[in-house]
Amino acid sequence: MRLKRLRTAAQIGTICLVILVPLANKKGFTFITGTLYSLAVGPVWITDPLIGVQTVLTTARLDAVLLLSLLIPVFLAFALGRVFCGWMCPQNTISEWADRVAAKLGITRLFRPQPRALPRTIVLAAVLTATPLVGFPLASLLSAPGLISAQAGKYVVEGVVGLEAGLIGLIVVVEFFLVRRAWCNYLCPVGGFLGLFRLKGTLKVVFAEDAEHVCGKCRACVDACGLGLDPLGGNLYPLCHNCGDCVGVCEALKERGKPLSFRF
Amino acid sequence: MRGTMQSRFLRPPGALPENEFLATCIRCGKCVQACPYGTIKTASLLDGVTVMGTPVIYARDRPCYLCMKCPPVCPSGALKRGLKEKEQVRMGTAVIAKKECLAWQETLCRSCFDDCPLIGEAIIMDNELRPVVDDKKCVGCGICENVCPVDPAAVAVRPGGKG
Repeated sequence: MRLKRLRTAAQIGTICLVILVPLANKKGFTFITGTLYSLAVGPVWITDPLIGVQTVLTTARLDAVLLLSLLIPVFLAFALGRVFCGWMCPQNTISEWADRVAAKLGITRLFRPQPRALPRTIVLAAVLTATPLVGFPLASLLSAPGLISAQAGKYVVEGVVGLEAGLIGLIVVVEFFLVRRAWCNYLCPVGGFLGLFRLKGTLKVVFAEDAEHVCGKCRACVDACGLGLDPLGGNLYPLCHNCGDCVGVCEALKERGKPLSFRF
Repeated sequence: MRGTMQSRFLRPPGALPENEFLATCIRCGKCVQACPYGTIKTASLLDGVTVMGTPVIYARDRPCYLCMKCPPVCPSGALKRGLKEKEQVRMGTAVIAKKECLAWQETLCRSCFDDCPLIGEAIIMDNELRPVVDDKKCVGCGICENVCPVDPAAVAVRPGGKG
């Protein structure tokens, strides 16, 4: 379960980043500034690709600084898939932890659809179409990780959070009682956009049986998937965010087998 | 203090004209964090959906001290990154309400004149020792509004939207 421990460390690290950056800035340490909309690590600027594209749409201008700051996340998505979602995004972390609590409590959701990529793609298309029409950055308002970190910053400066932070609470309640993992699986425009950056060689979870790797049909991977996907059934992308939980439980099996692995 | 002049918000130095600013600002909060004075606040959903998350300044509570640390950190260019000279800032213009102003009502007071960062330029004293704003020089930082001893302030910045 080494993968899982690494990932939990990355998730907690991101939450610390979101809280500590504004605190450090307030004390005058400004090596890292910004939020999960746009972050500056020294001279390196990193902006959420969806936020960058949205700004091109609302302003009809190509700002070189903004476009350059999209390179790292786009490259990361092409290389490793949506690891931002699976390993960093605080909304995913919150939803995942709430989902575990719900599982412990034995909560059964009112609706239990099979996760599909289409609804999220429709939301993304709607947001990108509406953005230039309304003339203000809709995607910024709908970016859960951005909202979480910007509100953390607001709290540090002003001691209050805005009403918009309620979106995060709403997501948790909906996911607890109505649809499991509703935001990440069906709605999130940030994840939807990152899911577009896929090549043949992008890191992926592969289920491959051969003479040495035979699936024992234990279905531990299916139970491990925090998004409710089926690693054995194929067709994981673009919903799978390469968190690696399924690969982790498969690798941890004592007997022969281990047909799940990460591959480029 | 609000009323007539607060139909729009006072933005950080270097901000694009309001409509362009609303389209360009990605609501990332970097300028808020860059401000060493805690001057820049974040508008919330209650201020309106279109302004939610944008940086605002309430000069009466805390004005802009023109340290010029926020424009260069803006990732989208909603604040003009190249703006370095505080004299070139045009966040707004201070407007003096002569009926409320102590000096204009024949009480000695020169708080705004003394604390203006462009001392002797943006606010000048006329020959009867009453403060007068030079619209061409005033940058709109709001320090005068912040220090005015009258409550509510007899001088207030009208947001200008010219950066």
